[in-house]
Amino acid sequence: MNETKKINVVLAGQGNTGKTSVFNYFTGSHQHTGNWAGKTIEKLEGTLYYKDYTIDVLDLPGIYSLTTLSVEELIAREYIIKHKPDVVINIVDSTNLERNLIFTLQLLELGCRVIVALNMIDIARKKGITIDIPKLQNILNTPVTGTVASRGTGLTDLMDKVIELREVSNDRVSLNYGKEIEDCISQLTDELKGVQVPYPERWIAIKLLEKDNEIVKIIRQIKPEVLEKNKLLEEKLEEIHGHDSSLVIADERSHLAAQITRETVTMAPHRKMSLNDRLDFITTNRFSGYLVMILIAGGMFFTVFSLGNWLSSLLDSLFIGWHEWWNNTVGTSFLSALGWSAIEGVLALIQIALPYILPFYIILYFLEEWGYIARISFLMDNFMHKMGIHGKGCISFIIGLGCNVPGCLSCRIMESRRERFITAVLVTLVPCSAVSVIVFGLVGKYVGLIWALGLYVFAMILIFIAGKISSKILPGEPVELIMPMPDYKTPQLKSILYQTWDSLKEFIYIAAPIVIVSGIIIQAINLAGWMPAISSFLSPVTVSWLGLPAITGILLIFGILRKELILVMLAAYLGTTEFAEVLTSQQMITLAVVSMFYVPCVATISVLWKDFGWKKALAVCIIEIVFAIVLAGIVTRLLNLVF
Amino acid sequence: MQIINTTEHMELKKSNISLIELEDGQSGTIVSLNGGRNLTKRLADLGISPGTNITVLRRSLFSGPVQVEVAGSKLVLGRGLASKILVKPQ
Repeated sequence: MNETKKINVVLAGQGNTGKTSVFNYFTGSHQHTGNWAGKTIEKLEGTLYYKDYTIDVLDLPGIYSLTTLSVEELIAREYIIKHKPDVVINIVDSTNLERNLIFTLQLLELGCRVIVALNMIDIARKKGITIDIPKLQNILNTPVTGTVASRGTGLTDLMDKVIELREVSNDRVSLNYGKEIEDCISQLTDELKGVQVPYPERWIAIKLLEKDNEIVKIIRQIKPEVLEKNKLLEEKLEEIHGHDSSLVIADERSHLAAQITRETVTMAPHRKMSLNDRLDFITTNRFSGYLVMILIAGGMFFTVFSLGNWLSSLLDSLFIGWHEWWNNTVGTSFLSALGWSAIEGVLALIQIALPYILPFYIILYFLEEWGYIARISFLMDNFMHKMGIHGKGCISFIIGLGCNVPGCLSCRIMESRRERFITAVLVTLVPCSAVSVIVFGLVGKYVGLIWALGLYVFAMILIFIAGKISSKILPGEPVELIMPMPDYKTPQLKSILYQTWDSLKEFIYIAAPIVIVSGIIIQAINLAGWMPAISSFLSPVTVSWLGLPAITGILLIFGILRKELILVMLAAYLGTTEFAEVLTSQQMITLAVVSMFYVPCVATISVLWKDFGWKKALAVCIIEIVFAIVLAGIVTRLLNLVF
Repeated sequence: MQIINTTEHMELKKSNISLIELEDGQSGTIVSLNGGRNLTKRLADLGISPGTNITVLRRSLFSGPVQVEVAGSKLVLGRGLASKILVKPQ
């Protein structure tokens, strides 16, 4: 029998290098996602059967270096060191060779077998960039190959190289970091002889000189004498170079990358102004940039909402007879009513996910693939900084307008935990499409469009103030924006659909269980006949303070499931959608304000819970409930002066 | 130690300017980075270290971030960060 051989391959690279395309090409339908142990960062794995081999491919998070400044970087480093994959494929953006090489050098330091895939080599060629691949291979002393992952070009060749490389022994000659540094490294490796750690000695030596906290901690436990020696060497380096030894190495690495680039890359003389430069100028220019941004954002919401409303009413008419059919077939017992509320939860998810979230994601990922999203971060950075977070947070806000759940999930792109939390909390205040249904269906329709738009402006001001306050009270320094500006490129449909599907799946996994379960619980309370008691219990707040009908107490409880239920159930209770007959303009605005801010919906709460722990999630809910009630009470009193 | 660094920085400041003072399209050679170790390391990983050439492509409205070209690629740097990068204009 022909025994299949196993190879473990890891994909590593910076963001925007086409790493995901490579991963999708190799593993296609044999993918599974999970989380890194104890972390909220996604772990992507897949399997490829090629020639006689079973090749397991793992996609590491996109990172810029292997220092341990972020969780992603720590995960990537730990994985490569501890699991010793057979081969690491380093996906490199050929149009940004120099910056990418710094990361390649760090990978090579780890002492693993590395293959460098020069991706997007076609775009580089078009830009007049020629890379001398054999020469680069010679200098790095590791295989290098050109690929165009979006079209699959060069990827079988890459896999052939993986198989080839796995068979050779792994004693490469290390790259040379200059005499003084190499001196220090060799003195340290001498000291480290016989130390039992699962890391290559040369790598530990480099990390010690770089003052890497993790490694210093480990060595202090095993052989503290090494640290004394290290201190002397650090001082020597600092004396020669005039700055911190940790930077001496990092600088040396970036200079080495620059030098290698000079030796291997030739650039055709600059053409006057490429299409990309022109587009970049228009979209980031201090005048037209903002105009284009408003047009694109406006166009996006117009498309999503008009398409969403149309699809939603289409689905409505599809599901319309189902409840009756259920009652006729299963009966109207307590259990059957509970069963129906579970089905209703699923239908509701379909009605949110399909008409609103799906088109929203497609447009979002189209803009992302095209390269526009980074421009928004650039344009909005200054404004976002006033809220204590940087420009990337704006992306989460935009996503939050569609749905708070993916909005909160997207906060993971923020670098520090502090910023992640602030951004997530602010996203919960962003009016999502369900809240928009209330604002436009109630206020926009019966009080006037200008009032509805006014509520949006009001929400924006509140988010701004909330951001200012939370960045003041939460400890920690704001992080500065450091973001690569990708070139515009032709969006690939396949990649957009892949990402849309992934995000939609994540939304359903997180939202579905909690929406269904809490739907059943609330229905049970309802059937037990406790609702009137609850609404009279809440009446001091709803009736006396907010001036709303007592029924709104129940509506607001159901609204925790999905905000638009407030409107849907109000219509069911009244038996009409002519809300103006029962509610005054003032009451409609007050109800809209409460609905906007009083609490995130259960699905959003579950994300907060998952990412920040139940204590913080609970605190956010309580603060927002109190805040919204106080605020709406004040609003209703102010409106007395108007109406 | 910290004091010496700061005076050193002041000395440098006389002949060099911060990155945000460069005009759109103007280039300079990085002279020093005046930030914490983590920040400078992160910048070095992106190819921003003393001796490297950097070009300001565009600054945004109302003293926002700066778009630069360094080490053959384009980056956006927050304004506070950009002001900590000292360059010798070309």
